[in-house]
Amino acid sequence: MIAMKRRTITYGLAASVIAVAVAWAALAAALIPLWAAETVIVIAFPVLVLFLGLWWRAPGGEEDIPFIGY
Amino acid sequence: MIEYLVFAAAFGLLLLGLHRKVIARIQMRPGPPVWQEILHALKFSFKSTWVPKTASATLYIGVVLVGIGIWSAALFVVLAGESILILFAIYMLHKVVEHGFGLSSGSPYGKFGGVRSVISAASEIPLFVTISAIYLFTGSLLLRDIIAYQGVHGPLLLIVPPVAIAMYIVILSKMPYGPFSIVESKELVSGYKTEHFGVWRAGISVIDGLKTFVLLYAFVAIFIGAVPFWAALVIMTGILVTLSFVCAVTPMLSPFDSVTIQGLITGLMLAYVGYLWWVMP
Repeated sequence: MIAMKRRTITYGLAASVIAVAVAWAALAAALIPLWAAETVIVIAFPVLVLFLGLWWRAPGGEEDIPFIGY
Repeated sequence: MIEYLVFAAAFGLLLLGLHRKVIARIQMRPGPPVWQEILHALKFSFKSTWVPKTASATLYIGVVLVGIGIWSAALFVVLAGESILILFAIYMLHKVVEHGFGLSSGSPYGKFGGVRSVISAASEIPLFVTISAIYLFTGSLLLRDIIAYQGVHGPLLLIVPPVAIAMYIVILSKMPYGPFSIVESKELVSGYKTEHFGVWRAGISVIDGLKTFVLLYAFVAIFIGAVPFWAALVIMTGILVTLSFVCAVTPMLSPFDSVTIQGLITGLMLAYVGYLWWVMP
């Protein structure tokens, strides 16, 4: 289960990196307009940030119940 | 383009670190190093991370993605000189994101933070109405047109200073440790951020960095005009130091007082805009 999660995270990270790189390259080659490249990056950048962290992080613990009052 | 996002997030976090440092020195404390907020973002990135049992997992994670996404879009809007209406729409979306952060975890601290973000939105967002004064002068809300107007007539900061003050108060409302920072006040632990930890909190740090950069950069573009990029960074730092002074010497207001004072300022600004509309040809 943990290995599968790790694989999912790696795929997600790779997908976001590829999306950013493709948008960048396509813009540089004048294949897509600026707004299209920006749209791809606005969608891919948040995924990249979170998946990079999840890929890098220490092993996650069990889910817990936060303090919800007396 | 992603380099712009990384730079903006890092510089915004550096400004927030400087904010803490200036507040600390005014209060006769050594304070953290100015790069502390960048270290926080990196530290949270490799902390243990999970989703609390009481959380709505989709909303809990989704708001982090949406938060980073909207401020990334805001940065592109400002850099491209597009309409400031889009920028303010994104600001309103941020209030929804804050609310989502607060409600998603199932913690009462987060919920109160989320509720307070709605309360503060009721008084912060009307401040944007005063930006309509800019339209009376420039005839456009496109940032590039506003900058071009200032190239001919001089900075709007000198032409309509009350409007600049209104925008300054909006930015002050978003600064941590400020008089209007009721959404993350200490009696709520960290307010709407309380139950977002680990990688989720690192995402919030990126949001905070981008938001700080975008709002200060937009202020410079709207009220000072075209300046070299390095000069914009220097001016942004100067504005931030003044915000830090205000935060250092002003106690955090209660939610009721915060809304009342912002509401009064909004009323004054609306009267000013009405006056401008009346006297202008």
